Amino acid sequence: MAAISLRALTKVYATGITAVDALDLDVEPGEFVVLVGPSGCGKTTALRMVAGLERITSGTISFGDREVNDVSPRHRDVAMVFQNYALYPHLTVYQNIAFALENKHVPGPQRDRRVREAAEVLGLTDLLRRKPRQLSGGQRQRVAMGRAIVREPAVFLMDEPLSNLDAKLRVQMRSEVLRVHHSIGAATLYVTHDQTEAMTMGDRVAVLRDGVLQQYATPRELYDRPANVFVASFIGSPEMNLYEASLEEHHDGMAVALGSQRLGLPDQAYRAYLGRKVVVGIRPEDLGDPALDRLAGATAAGAHSQRSRATLTADARFAEMLGSEQHVFFSIDATPAGGATAAGSAGQAGLLADSEPNGVARLDPRSAIRAGGKVTFSVDTERLHFFDPDTGRAIEAAGD
Amino acid sequence: MTAVQRAAGRRRSTWIRRRDRRGIWFVVPFMVGFLLFMIVPLGYAIYTSLYTTKIIGGTTFSGASNYSQTVQSGEFWSGVVRVIIFACIQIPVMLAIAFFFACVFDLGVAKFGRTFRTIFFIPFAVPAVVGAVMWSFLLEPQFGPIVHLANAFGFSGTNFFSPSLLFSSIIVIVIWEWTGYNMTILYTALKSVPRDVVEAAILDDTPLWRIILRIKLPMVRSAIVMLVFLNTIGALQLFTEPLILSYFETGSVSINYTPTLYIFNTAIAGDQTNLAAAAAVILGLVIVVISVGSLLFRRRRGELA
Amino acid sequence: MSAPPVQAPPAAATAPVPAPQSRRERRRQQRLAEREDGIPAEFYGLRRGTVPLLTGLAFVFAIFTLVPIAWIVINSTKTQANIFETFGFWFARPFSFFHNFSLLFQNVDGYGTYIQWFGNTVLYAALGGAGATALSAFAGYGFARFSFRGSRVLFYFTIAALLVPITALTLPLYLTYAKAHLINSIWGMILPSMISPVGIYLMRVYVDLSVPRELIDAARLDGAGEAKIFFRVALPLMVPGFMTVLLISVVAVWNNYFLPLLIFNINTRYPLTVGIGLWSERAQNSGNAQLFPMVVIGGLVTIIPLIALFLILQRYWRSGMLLGSIAN
Repeated sequence: MAAISLRALTKVYATGITAVDALDLDVEPGEFVVLVGPSGCGKTTALRMVAGLERITSGTISFGDREVNDVSPRHRDVAMVFQNYALYPHLTVYQNIAFALENKHVPGPQRDRRVREAAEVLGLTDLLRRKPRQLSGGQRQRVAMGRAIVREPAVFLMDEPLSNLDAKLRVQMRSEVLRVHHSIGAATLYVTHDQTEAMTMGDRVAVLRDGVLQQYATPRELYDRPANVFVASFIGSPEMNLYEASLEEHHDGMAVALGSQRLGLPDQAYRAYLGRKVVVGIRPEDLGDPALDRLAGATAAGAHSQRSRATLTADARFAEMLGSEQHVFFSIDATPAGGATAAGSAGQAGLLADSEPNGVARLDPRSAIRAGGKVTFSVDTERLHFFDPDTGRAIEAAGD
Repeated sequence: MTAVQRAAGRRRSTWIRRRDRRGIWFVVPFMVGFLLFMIVPLGYAIYTSLYTTKIIGGTTFSGASNYSQTVQSGEFWSGVVRVIIFACIQIPVMLAIAFFFACVFDLGVAKFGRTFRTIFFIPFAVPAVVGAVMWSFLLEPQFGPIVHLANAFGFSGTNFFSPSLLFSSIIVIVIWEWTGYNMTILYTALKSVPRDVVEAAILDDTPLWRIILRIKLPMVRSAIVMLVFLNTIGALQLFTEPLILSYFETGSVSINYTPTLYIFNTAIAGDQTNLAAAAAVILGLVIVVISVGSLLFRRRRGELA
Repeated sequence: MSAPPVQAPPAAATAPVPAPQSRRERRRQQRLAEREDGIPAEFYGLRRGTVPLLTGLAFVFAIFTLVPIAWIVINSTKTQANIFETFGFWFARPFSFFHNFSLLFQNVDGYGTYIQWFGNTVLYAALGGAGATALSAFAGYGFARFSFRGSRVLFYFTIAALLVPITALTLPLYLTYAKAHLINSIWGMILPSMISPVGIYLMRVYVDLSVPRELIDAARLDGAGEAKIFFRVALPLMVPGFMTVLLISVVAVWNNYFLPLLIFNINTRYPLTVGIGLWSERAQNSGNAQLFPMVVIGGLVTIIPLIALFLILQRYWRSGMLLGSIAN
C-alpha cells in the first residue's frame, strides 16, 4: 500500500490556467521521491495539494488507504519544510521546534525530550536559545527540518528547501537531508528545480513540465532511458545534444544520417523507423577522443566499447577546461532539435548563426583535442537516443 | 600606502563629499520653513512665557512666575488628569476593536471584507468639527434620535451631555472618528505577516486563537506601538470635540475641560498670552514625556516578553 | 523499466499567449486571483456559526460608522423645525434640500458666507497640500540619497518634531503672528501647513524603497545635473508615494481646526471647519434657528469632497498605509 497516492490529480485556477494536469504518482513507505521540473511546471502546486494548502480541482490524494481530499491540512499528519523556512520569528529555536507539540498537549517532560532529540539529530543543540534572526541560512533550514521531524509525521514534504542556500552549502545539506530521512524513515516528497539534486537524492524522480508528468522512474532510468526529448535534455549536465536526423540503410545494417555524416548503428533495433525522420540525442559524455580510445582498446574493458564506436567530424569552436574534464563546443552541419532549455531552432537564426556551436562534448582532460579547426570524435552508438520528431517520445528499440 | 595612493583616495572622497553636499539644497526649503514656522515660534513662545503683560505697567520680565502659576493651577491639572484618564480608557478600547476587525478581515473570516474596510475608514475623511456636530445632534438630550431610541428601549431621560455621561459620549465620538484609521494600519501590518509562517502553523494544527495571539500579534507589535504613540499624543490634546459639545450644552464642559482648552481660553478669551504660552510649554513637555515614556515602556515590555 | 512514456508536447510549443483582454476582463481576473490569494477560512478550524457571527459584528460596527453620515444626509433635506421634530432617520416634508443649499450662498447674520469658506478651504488645502508634498519630496529625496554632514541629525530632529504636540506649536505661531501683524493672513495658514514631518518621513522611506542609487549614479555618469536627475529620474519613480503624501496633506489641511481658529478673526478668511464651528455655537446661542439646517447641510457639503476623493483614490490610501507600516 503506497504511503502517498496521487490519482489524476488536477489543479485549474480560477483564471483558467491549469497548473497540474492529471498527475499519477505513488510514493512507497519510506521512499524519497523527488518532483523536479522547470519553474512553473506545477511541482510546488502538486506538493501543496498533498499538504492540503491548495484546493484540488479533480483527482484524489490518498495516504495509505484513506482518501484525504476533504481532510483539512491540520489533520493530515503532514509536516512541511518551506522554501523560506517559515520559522516563527519571535520564538527561540527550542520554541519553534516545540510549537507543534504544544498544540498536541504533549506533556512537558516528554516534549522536552523529543525537542532535544530532534535538535540532536540536526546538530542544533547549541542553538536552542537563539532566535531565527541570529541564525545563518543553513542553520535556519535545519531548524525548519527539526520542526518537521519532531512531529514524527506520516508524510514529509519539502518545497525547494535548499534553493536559498549558496552552492557549497547546498551540496553539504543534500547529504544532511538524506541522513535525516534515513533516520526518520517517513515517506518524503521533495520538490526542486535542480536536476542534480533530483538525481543525487531521489529513490525515484518524477519530471514535470507545464503540469504534465513526463516520466517517473529511478535516476538511472531517467538517465539511460529518457521517455521523451524533454526529459532527455532536462536530465544530465551539460545538456544532451539533440539533432534532426533520419535513419537509412547502410552497408549491411542501418545508420543514422546526421547532416552529411553517417553513423553506423550496431544492430537492426530501430527497423520500424527506417527511412523516416527522427530526433537523435547524443550525450556529451558519450563523445570521445578516438586517440584515447585506441589506448583504452589495449585493455579488455576498452575492447568492448570499441565495437560500437563510430566517428563524428566536427568544427571545434571553443573549449572549457575544468580540470577534471574538458567541454569542447563544436558545430556540425546537422539541424539542432529543441530540448528542455532551447527555444526551438528558430532562435538560432541570427547574426551569429553560423558561428554558434550546436553541440558539446565532454572529454577526458588528457585528450589532445583543442578548439579551432576540424576534429573527430568517437561516438558510442549503443548509447544513442532516438525520439519521434512529432511526439517527442523516445523510440523504443525493438526487442529490448 | 604610497603618497600617491593616499592623495588619490583623498581626492575621490572629496568628490563624493562635494556631491553629497549638493544634497543640502534639496533639504533647505523644508528646513527654512521648519525654522520659520516651528523653531522660531517655539522660541518666541518660551520667550513670551517668561514675561507678564499688565494693562498698567506693560510687559515685564517675570521669570518663572507664569510657570509656577500654571503649575499651581488646579484647573490646569484637573484638565491634565482628565485627558490622561481619557487616553487610558479610549485608546485600549479603540485599539481592541481595531485589532479585532483587522484580524477578522485579514483572516478573511467574515464576508464583504473589502466593503466593510472601506466603510470603516470613512470617518477619517470627516473633520473632527463636523463629526462632533453630527454626534451632538444625534445625542441631543431633547431632540436627538439616539435619545428617542434610548427612550423607546426604556432608558428614558438619558442625558448624554450630563456631567456623568459627557465623558463617555466624547469617548464614543473619538472612537467613531479613529477606529477605522487604526484598523487599516493594523490590517496592513497583519497582511505583511509572511503567508508561509501561518501555513506552517496550520500544518501544525494550531488553533486560531493561538495563531492570532502567538504568531500574528507579536509580528505586528511595532505597528501597535506606533499607534499607541500617535493615539496618545492625539488624546492628550483633546480639544475640538469638547469645544463643539460645549456649544450644544454649555453646562457640562468647563472652559478648562482639557489642557488645550485651558490654553485656548487663556490666550483668546482671557487675553493672557504669557500665561497661555507657559501653559503650552508645560503641556508640550508633559506630552513629550508621556509619549516617549509609553514608547520606552512598550519596548521594554517587549524585550522582557 | 520506466513507466510508459507520456505524450510530450512538441518541442517548440510555448504557453498559449492570452488574447488581448478588455479592462473589465483584466480586473475580473485580478479579483479572482486575489480571492484565491489568501489562506482559505476553512483552514482555521472554526465552528459553524463563526463566520456569520463575525460578519454580523462587522455589520453592526458598519451601522455605527454610517449612522452619523446617514443622519446628516437625511437631515440636510429638512427644514429647521423638522430637524428637531421629526424622526431623525427618515425624511419629512417639505423637502428643503435646495432651499437649504441656497442658504450656503448667503451671508446669514454677518457670520460669513459658506461658499467663501469653501473656497478658502480649497485654497488652503490645495496650496498647503501641494506645498507640503513638494517640500517633502525634495527633502525626502535629499535625506534618502545624500549623506551630507549633519543629515542624520537634521532628519532625527525633524522626526522629533512629531513628538511636540500641535498645541505647543500652534499657540506660538499665533503669538508670533500677533507680533508680526500677520493675523488673518492666508499665508499664515498656508505656509505652516507646508511643514509636514510626517510627509518627510514617508517620502524618505519611499525614496529608499523605490529609487535605486545605481540609477542615480548612472545618470550622473551620463553627465546629468542633480536637479535634472531629480525631476527626470527620481520623481517619476516617486509618484505613488507622492500621491499618498499629497492626499494625507490635503486632508490634514482641510480638516485643520485649531490653527485657523487661532489665527483668523475675520470670517471671510475662515475655512470650513472654523465656519461650521462658529455656526454651531451661534445656532445654539443666538436667536437664529435658521442656522441649524445650515450647519447640517454645511457639514454635509464639507465631507462630500473628501469622501469622494477617498473612494476614487482608494489605492493610494492603501499603499500609504502599507508605507506607514513598512516604515516601522
